[in-house]
Amino acid sequence: MATMARPVKEKDAPRRPNIATADVQLPAVKDYEQVDREIIGTLHPTAAWFIGLGVAIFFLIVGAGAWTYQIYSGLGVAGYNPPVMWGVYIITFVFWVGIGHAGTLISAILYLFRAGFRTTIYRCAEAMTVFAVMTAGLFPILHLGRPWKFFWLIPYPNWRYLWPQFKSPLVWDVFAILTYLTVSSTFLYIGLIPDIAVLRDHEKNPVRKRIFGILSLGWRNSDREWRHFARAYLFLAAFSTPLVLSVHSVVSFDFAMALTPGWHTTIFPPYFVAGAIFSGIGMVFTIIIPLRKWFGLKHYVTINHLDAAAKLCLFTSLVVGCAYMTEWFVAWYSGSEFEQGFFANRIWGQWWWASVILYTCNMVLPLSLFKQTWRRNPTWLFILSFFINLGMWFERFVIVVPSLSHEFEPWQWTGYTPTWVDFAILAGSFGWFSMWFLLFIKQLPVIAISEVKEIIPPKLRVRHDHGIDSAGRHLEFEPSTPGEYD
Amino acid sequence: MSSEAITPGVKRRDFLKVVGAGTAVASTMIGCTSEKVEKLIPYLVSPDETVPGVSTYYSTTCRECSAGCGVVAETRDGRAIKLEGNPSHPVNRGALCARGQAALQGLYNPDRYRGPMIRRNGKLVQATWDEALKVFGQKLAENRASAASAVFINRHESGNFPSFLNTWLAGMGMPAALSIDPDADFAAISANRQSYGVSWPKLDFAAAKLIVSFGADFLDGWGSSVSQQLDFADARAKIDTAPRLIYVGPRRSLTGLNADQWINARSGSEIAIVQMLAGSITPQQAAQASGVDAATLAALQKEIAAAKPGMFIAGGTGVSGSELCTAVNALNQSQGNVGVTIKPAEALNGYEGIDSPSQLRVLAQRMQAGSVSMLMVRGVNPAYTMPKSSGFAAAMAKVPFKVSFSAIPDETTGMADLVLPDNHSLESWGDAEPVRGTLSLQQPAMDPVFDTRSTGDVLIGVARAAGQGSFAAGSNDYRSVMIARFPGGAAALAAALPRGVTSGTTTTLTPRPLPAPVPAATSTGDYSLMVYMHPVLGMGGGANKPWLQELPDPVTKIAWQTVAEMHPSTAKKLGVENGDHVLVETAAGKLSLPTYVYLGIRPDTIAVAAGRGHADVAGRYARSGSNALDLLPYAEDRSGAVMLASAHAKVTKDGGSTRLATTEGSARQHGRGIGQAITVAELNGKAVSGEHTQKVTEGEEMPGDASHAFLPGLRSPTANDAQGELGGDGQQSKEKGMYAPNHWSGMAKRRWAMTIDLARCTGCSACVTACYAENNIPTVGADWQGAKVLPDRTGFGANITRSREMAWIRLERYFEGGEDGGADFDTRFVPMLCQHCGNAPCEPVCPVYATYHSPDGLNVQVYNRCVGTRYCSNNCPYKVRYFNWFGYGEPARPQYAFPEPLNWQLNPDVTVRGKGVMEKCSFCVQRIRETENRAALEHRGVEPDEFTTACAEACPSRAITFGDAADEKWTVAGMVNDKRAYHVFEELNTFTAVVYLKKVNHPAGGQA
Repeated sequence: MATMARPVKEKDAPRRPNIATADVQLPAVKDYEQVDREIIGTLHPTAAWFIGLGVAIFFLIVGAGAWTYQIYSGLGVAGYNPPVMWGVYIITFVFWVGIGHAGTLISAILYLFRAGFRTTIYRCAEAMTVFAVMTAGLFPILHLGRPWKFFWLIPYPNWRYLWPQFKSPLVWDVFAILTYLTVSSTFLYIGLIPDIAVLRDHEKNPVRKRIFGILSLGWRNSDREWRHFARAYLFLAAFSTPLVLSVHSVVSFDFAMALTPGWHTTIFPPYFVAGAIFSGIGMVFTIIIPLRKWFGLKHYVTINHLDAAAKLCLFTSLVVGCAYMTEWFVAWYSGSEFEQGFFANRIWGQWWWASVILYTCNMVLPLSLFKQTWRRNPTWLFILSFFINLGMWFERFVIVVPSLSHEFEPWQWTGYTPTWVDFAILAGSFGWFSMWFLLFIKQLPVIAISEVKEIIPPKLRVRHDHGIDSAGRHLEFEPSTPGEYD
Repeated sequence: MSSEAITPGVKRRDFLKVVGAGTAVASTMIGCTSEKVEKLIPYLVSPDETVPGVSTYYSTTCRECSAGCGVVAETRDGRAIKLEGNPSHPVNRGALCARGQAALQGLYNPDRYRGPMIRRNGKLVQATWDEALKVFGQKLAENRASAASAVFINRHESGNFPSFLNTWLAGMGMPAALSIDPDADFAAISANRQSYGVSWPKLDFAAAKLIVSFGADFLDGWGSSVSQQLDFADARAKIDTAPRLIYVGPRRSLTGLNADQWINARSGSEIAIVQMLAGSITPQQAAQASGVDAATLAALQKEIAAAKPGMFIAGGTGVSGSELCTAVNALNQSQGNVGVTIKPAEALNGYEGIDSPSQLRVLAQRMQAGSVSMLMVRGVNPAYTMPKSSGFAAAMAKVPFKVSFSAIPDETTGMADLVLPDNHSLESWGDAEPVRGTLSLQQPAMDPVFDTRSTGDVLIGVARAAGQGSFAAGSNDYRSVMIARFPGGAAALAAALPRGVTSGTTTTLTPRPLPAPVPAATSTGDYSLMVYMHPVLGMGGGANKPWLQELPDPVTKIAWQTVAEMHPSTAKKLGVENGDHVLVETAAGKLSLPTYVYLGIRPDTIAVAAGRGHADVAGRYARSGSNALDLLPYAEDRSGAVMLASAHAKVTKDGGSTRLATTEGSARQHGRGIGQAITVAELNGKAVSGEHTQKVTEGEEMPGDASHAFLPGLRSPTANDAQGELGGDGQQSKEKGMYAPNHWSGMAKRRWAMTIDLARCTGCSACVTACYAENNIPTVGADWQGAKVLPDRTGFGANITRSREMAWIRLERYFEGGEDGGADFDTRFVPMLCQHCGNAPCEPVCPVYATYHSPDGLNVQVYNRCVGTRYCSNNCPYKVRYFNWFGYGEPARPQYAFPEPLNWQLNPDVTVRGKGVMEKCSFCVQRIRETENRAALEHRGVEPDEFTTACAEACPSRAITFGDAADEKWTVAGMVNDKRAYHVFEELNTFTAVVYLKKVNHPAGGQA
């Protein structure tokens, strides 16, 4: 942070922003009232929002209809082609669980690491996490042959003394997903309490005011509350941090614990976690870039924040790329003909196109983020985020389908073509997710009001037309960081 | 219930009495109502000998082909549910082929006539027997004057029925019946009659050192396949003295794939090779004629000279079939094989008296000329089996009155004016003479399913009504005729029936003299067209049975569809791949067929299987595929047999493509050693390949083979003790096994296991159909089972194009070699079923314990517990788990696999699986438990080899042995010690309970 203000001559002006500090500054946010006004202002439903919600619900109904049809007719209406016994549903399950990882990473791990750029995007990411896990949680049930018996996977006391098979990774999944859903929604809610109190204070409608009052648990903004709140938040952040690593590791065990060539590998847990974070950040871009534009929050979620997130994205892309290369190496090094045969088929066989999509989207395109101007170009980040989502969906496709279609037994090598039911349920999952997210952004603040207030200058008794540094000294002019606000 | 019965202080016993009486009255009342009552069991009052839940067995005779195998029909509560071979029968000796198994689906065919039918206003409508018999009697009376021009075509059969029928016909003033079997190779029969004096000599494979088959597909339904397969497998199982099999012909049939060498002679040129062997032409001339390299032929000549005795057999459906068969028989005679390897003295009797197919052509000419007053047909379908170009169907339409006695609708019956449906063979009395001097008795295993009547009874009734004297006293029905002819009468028959076989003879028919043959119309084109009889559907007789339609062709692995088989180089030349349509044109017609690229066919030949593509009238299943016979320009060879080959056909690429309903993934093993083979020389340690020169002895490991490291685990009495460490000297390790040897259930002392001898397995697939029958496996390939729910897949086999077939046991057919398209490739048939791994990958991944390990070593699937995650299948390296994608067992669904009354066949001991659960081979657990329970009731232990699984029981090669590997007294426990034993994917440490014995190859000159 600039310590002393002095005039900067043209030739001395930094050619690049001081990125080390830029991501914590919100120069266009002047005071608390502005924060309250602008963020609460986003909560009024608009016609476009209703249309968006309608579209989301439409897709949800399409998906729910397809599921009903599938339950009635049997799973055969989906495109399963034995031995490809898992298909779009499991791919989409892993995809959504992966999406759900960025939220906790940003809100918990980056909180512990005191990464400043998280402040304005974490709420959005955390809500995304909860809804993504809610979406993901549907798929293991959706893909069951007898979904009405799904509760048999849960250990509950019963007169038959029947317990789930605790050796099965699918049972671990049940625990992992439920734990993650519980902790991430708790974390989201705890973080929301001071903000809900703000909403309560600004609310005119008595019913809503009452609801907000209950939800804010009587928050009075006292020092004592803040002290407890900070400790609780820190505790939950520390509690969630291992979950970020464990949940997707457990999901990866679904594959890694199996014998299937292409699945049976110890690299899966770190590979899946990196991939999850990568895809999660991709989804954050997909959501936050239009949101900051439509809600007029560009001076909150600044280019510098996006730039910092893009670096994280680049890093995880490199990790994931490294994992891809390692897989190849291990397949060669294993000497296992099944493993080698599978990898040869992955790239030269019937699924070459899926591998091309995967490697292009996840390894090649993110390399563009090495260049700063691309990192700071929201349009490119938005486009790239779609490729990342696509690439990460195809990463799971390449793991699930080619492995099963090209296993030990050559007589049983097959293909796989999803049907309209698969795609309808896939679309329905986006509808379900979007519906919850759209409902969320108009009910609760998508940017953490209280945390934004922590980084802007506190309220002064006297209004000054010029800047004030952190020590309260009057500045003769305002330092401006290029590109900070557009 | 009366009020005074329930008074204060009523005793519990009295109360129960009243309740019981009330219930009895209520049920009697229900029984008296005229409303249809749903019955839990088929009997209201059951016969004394039946016990609900306990099977009754009836010995009878299979009439699906002319061989006359003995079968034992298992009936439960009055319904036949399973057919097994009769072990006492000299022909099939306890085995039964797929067609025989599927006789049940003929019995319960949903398309069967429910009762007699009369044509009214151009449509066949249901009538009562009284009406139908009245019409029949009237017509017989009307035609009395012209009775000599009436014709009766009977399905050829041995036994007493044909002579009974001829007596009846004579009484009516009609000529003797035509005895026709469309599946029979008449050219071979005719040549055999000339050369040996019998229609079908016994082929003693074991006596031969070398077998050369010139298109004689003795494993594909040529002759008596079950007995031939048994003999062949037995001969090949004696490995050191096993005969080498050389197959000569343009296409490798199932028999060809079992041959050690294939000489891919041009279609119709096999005779040149025979002439060369007879010494009338040189190898060079033969090579020029047959398109085979002269060195190969010279080597063949040399080998034949060295290997004596040999056996030469020829199939006569090709272009010059009759000449070929005659020449081959002459070769046998000159080589001194007759009586040594070819034994006319022990001839099979099934084909004696059969008439030539050309009689049907002569009949067609007569019908065309209007000189046939009345046509009666029983059990044959000439309107389909006679190629369209013969004009049979068109001529038949001109006959004023046509009667059919067929039980199941077909093209011929569809044209009839009156249908008097016969009982199915499992519902009627009869006999067969499969071998001279031996009678195979046929008795009803159950009451007729529908309102049908045995033709014998109908004919007797009509004759008596007409006042015909020959059936007067004491013969009210065919059964009494049979008893009258049976030496010793009713008592002797009753005594003979349980065994099903007795000595005795029947009158053999005299076949009619052969009419002059009709030469083929000339077609043009660069390709030879070869139409062949489908190995399981025959000439269309099996097409209405879903089990047989669903059973992948043993060679092409195509189900439900008709394809044009062509060599990879031909496909490349035409620019087509698997599934792309080609247009096959001959003088008779053209057909657009999907391509199937097959290594085992000459590049100048196109092969199409006959048997599918029936008219709609033949029922819902028979419609699938195309009728290859439409392509045949009608031609007969010298013997009067219909030629199933056309010298020339034009083949061009046609638009469109069909997904092949094939179960084949990759036809190559990719070096994964699933079907392993070894040469005789290697087995005897004579081979000089590498350093392995020492003779392999018992217990010693094969070169490069680690199998025996795990075999002790297989013999371990503790199910999951894969390493076999619990058995010996106090090495107690609770961590090793899932169950302790002294598990309270007492089951842990057993280890159910199976060996499959690939040296015996011919790939015939009888085990597959037997498994369908035993385990209520649904067929999934009918067009309505897929079309409505898989919009991208239509037509027959839609579900199979998505690999959703449910066969618990499947026959994998791998090719080794021949990558360059050459003829020198080896075929490995591997029956693949659940391996019941000691260390099963499927078990720990199931989240709900729906699959677990039983103490006696079974990998158990609990359908009720399964939620359908399908993780078990993902983790199964053998891919032997099958998922119920639809409600195949729910009658209200389009996918219902057992439309009434096919569901009558369902085995009551086995659950019909619901939608959304996984299923797989259970090692016939119902048979295991039934045997254990029976032994327990009889206060004894289970005897060694007391029972076996359905696949092993049916196997006509005796390749499958099942039993308790932990008990040395069982055969299987000895089999796993065989030096050829190996596990598939042993490196995965699955410790399978299925042990394969390597196939043994017999390369030329005994070289490795």
